[in-house]
Amino acid sequence: MTRTAIGTAAGGRTRPAAGGGTRRWGRALRLLALQLVVPVVLLAGIWWWTGQAGSFYFPPASEVARYFADLWLFERVGGDVLPSLGRMFAGYAIAVVVGMVLGTALGLSRLLRTAADPVVQFLRALPPPALIPFALLLFGAGDWSKVFIIALGTVWPILLNTIDGVRGVESQLLDAARSFQIPAGARLTRIVLPAATPRIFAGMRTSLSIAIILMVVSEMVASDNGIGYFVLESQRSFAIPEMWTGIVLLGVLGFVLNWLFVVMEARVLFWHRGLKGNSDA
Amino acid sequence: MLEVAQLSKVYGPDPAARPAVADLTFDVAAREFVCILGSSGCGKTTMLRCLAGLEPVTSGHVRLRDEVVSGPPREMAFVFQDYSRSLYPWMTVERNVAFPLRYKGVPKQEARAATQEALEAVGLGGRGRSYPWQLSGGMQQRVAIARALAYRPQILLMDEPFASVDAQTRAGLEDLLLDVWQRYEITVLFVTHDIDEAVYLADRVLVLRAPAHVALTVEVDLPRPRNQLTTKGHPDFGRLRSELLAALSPAGTPQ
Repeated sequence: MTRTAIGTAAGGRTRPAAGGGTRRWGRALRLLALQLVVPVVLLAGIWWWTGQAGSFYFPPASEVARYFADLWLFERVGGDVLPSLGRMFAGYAIAVVVGMVLGTALGLSRLLRTAADPVVQFLRALPPPALIPFALLLFGAGDWSKVFIIALGTVWPILLNTIDGVRGVESQLLDAARSFQIPAGARLTRIVLPAATPRIFAGMRTSLSIAIILMVVSEMVASDNGIGYFVLESQRSFAIPEMWTGIVLLGVLGFVLNWLFVVMEARVLFWHRGLKGNSDA
Repeated sequence: MLEVAQLSKVYGPDPAARPAVADLTFDVAAREFVCILGSSGCGKTTMLRCLAGLEPVTSGHVRLRDEVVSGPPREMAFVFQDYSRSLYPWMTVERNVAFPLRYKGVPKQEARAATQEALEAVGLGGRGRSYPWQLSGGMQQRVAIARALAYRPQILLMDEPFASVDAQTRAGLEDLLLDVWQRYEITVLFVTHDIDEAVYLADRVLVLRAPAHVALTVEVDLPRPRNQLTTKGHPDFGRLRSELLAALSPAGTPQ
């Protein structure tokens, strides 16, 4: 009896090793299917409910889809999507550069950090949309006021994470470099910054979602193009299906941008994953 | 080669604070293999950091080939205990080894050759393209040794380099180190808290007591090349071992 049990257990243990590859694939496919089930069911539910509800606020999904194809494939891409994305990327890019440069300086110097801390804490706490009126005064209703708001709102996570990342570099990594007489400039660019990239990327990722939010918000005040502007204008003229297409588009854009970011992060930080995977094992 | 005279190190601004290193004096001759033996907390690491020019000294001086050490000297390479924090995880093994050479002004072609040679010397000739975290602990420490060798130092400082690998790997690394010490004709100053390791490797063992000063010097005249079996079975090995153990025992052990 006991012998049989042991035999079975041993058999059970050897089987996955033999067919491990197929099994792993099967498992991955099942998980993927599971991930797809919820959105598909949800979408079908919405489709059915909006189709029979006859609600003014929730027009049939089929209608929204038709409008979506008419509007965004690709008629309004040049007029609304590109200006939106352009402003968002400009603001984000400024935030990345400013956040990394200032963050590195503050991370390296305790004196600067102490001096800057109250100002940083105050500005960080300020909700960026509160500055939209000021930005309009300063830059007018054009692109730059929006770029300014996006940059101002997204710079903080990058700045603070860069400070943490730079401060948190293992002192022994730097000692090793000093013992090999690596000059200070190279210690900064070749050791401190690469070592800080995991933190910097975490900040950049947070900032990316803030950038999308601020892109929309900034376009809802004093603007004459952009996806946010389109959503607001559609609502104002009671073009509800059109309004929904804008909202859906924003969701899709946010999803795609985040996915692109994750792909890029995985490429740049492959060593960090490898390192972590190792210490977990 | 290396001359340490009345070296003292006190951390912080208070001169009355307990020193980490106090009145430490010793010499290391060219091509000598010296082990510094001391229990943990006796100031070994501080001493080594002072010698390497990573830590300013409070008084006394360190001279390397008649020049006072005030910053990390070019003729010196350092191997740390914690390889995972001294190798750069975003660089391949090759890049890790070659990295310091660039700033030493070694031409690219030459640097590549020196890197390959050093990696082969530590038995990792085929692993240049790997990343440190893909290797075992012992292999990573071999990469750190290769990096030090490729730098072509005259003196190698090693801070308990084999303390975080298993016994089997450790014996292999000890033999590897003796081999490259001969081959690269370098001087080695090796800090350890392991008596057997000190006797097995060294020409001379210095026993350190807190605050770091030399309490005892023991010459090791065991025949070379050394061998894990015959050297450790040699009657003198046991005698030296006991002598050092006595020197490290309670009366001499701090705290």
